[in-house]
Amino acid sequence: MLLVLSEEQKAHLGCLPRVGDAAVGELGRLAMELLRRGAAPRACEAAAKKLNVGVDTVQQGVEGLAYLLTESSKLMISEIDFQDSIHVLGFSDELNKLLLQLYLDNRKEIRSILSELTPKLPSYHSLEWRLDVQLASRSLRQQIKPAVTIKLHLSQNEDQTAQVLQTDPSTLLHLIQQLEQALGEMKTNHCRRIVRNMK
Amino acid sequence: QRFRFCGDLDCPDWVLAEISTLAKISSVKLKLICAQVLRDLLGETMEYEKILKLTSDAKLELGDVKATIAVLGFILSSAAKHNVDGESLSSELQQLGLPKEHAAGLCRSYEEKQSSLQDRLRACSLRLSRLGSVGWRVDYTLSSSELREVNEPLVHLNFHLRDGERAGPVAIPMVLSAEKFRVLLA
Repeated sequence: MLLVLSEEQKAHLGCLPRVGDAAVGELGRLAMELLRRGAAPRACEAAAKKLNVGVDTVQQGVEGLAYLLTESSKLMISEIDFQDSIHVLGFSDELNKLLLQLYLDNRKEIRSILSELTPKLPSYHSLEWRLDVQLASRSLRQQIKPAVTIKLHLSQNEDQTAQVLQTDPSTLLHLIQQLEQALGEMKTNHCRRIVRNMK
Repeated sequence: QRFRFCGDLDCPDWVLAEISTLAKISSVKLKLICAQVLRDLLGETMEYEKILKLTSDAKLELGDVKATIAVLGFILSSAAKHNVDGESLSSELQQLGLPKEHAAGLCRSYEEKQSSLQDRLRACSLRLSRLGSVGWRVDYTLSSSELREVNEPLVHLNFHLRDGERAGPVAIPMVLSAEKFRVLLA
């Protein structure tokens, strides 16, 4: 699968041959920092001064590199496809090799950063429960009515919510049975085949 | 094999695994660490630096220190939860492989604090809301735009709730006529 770069991105990356191979390493490092921690304008300014080019050039080069790296890592393209994709930029062989090395070295880390960007549903945090027995009420005396009260604590991106649920023990047993059936699905042949093929 | 302090169930695998870590610490130091863990369970602050100093002789890594605190917390709170006395706890821990002096020291610390631990666990149990206080006021309506002579008492009640589902004090006001109030009290 080939990467398709727009004209603007090609222009951004066009600054790379001008700064020299050593500087490309520096820009690669800045691109990785951009992906790890976000924009760092002061670091770009310092690099621009050291390399004797405009700040905008450095910024665009770093952003272009970051895009190149994230798209390649996202699609997990092979070395040959990566080389073919950047071939269209018309860089020298050493520069191409440098970029390929940059991609291969950082691919795993970029993929782990990208995996954290998926939208998250509220996830389980903790569960409190309580077993009560209702002995009497205003309408009816001398009863025995057990009830289980559950407080389910959920967290979603640092937000904590709590849900209070109440059920009687037989419904709770039914619930547990249904959940165990769901877990049991993992052991069927169909699921085992899929899990084996994924490994 | 079933253990009383685990609620008549099997002992969890991770507890079994950490018993050997506990055995690495001397029994005197283990008793002091127990005291710190009990402080944390009772809601006071635990002095983490003291625990680090006590475990430094046994050359435990940071992960092992955290595991020690976790397993002691589990044993003590679970024993209190299932109302296990000190001697049964000691014999069960020895069955799991904890040396005799370690088990004895741990159970002595447990016995001292058992009832306060159970009181604390009782207080922490799930409560949806608590009634804080009730404020009341009785008004007497003399007349209104509808009727010149009303002469009816009116009861205002304000229920103050603490730690409800929305955490934080909640006030629920209501107004009752005299008959309704009598029905409520009946």
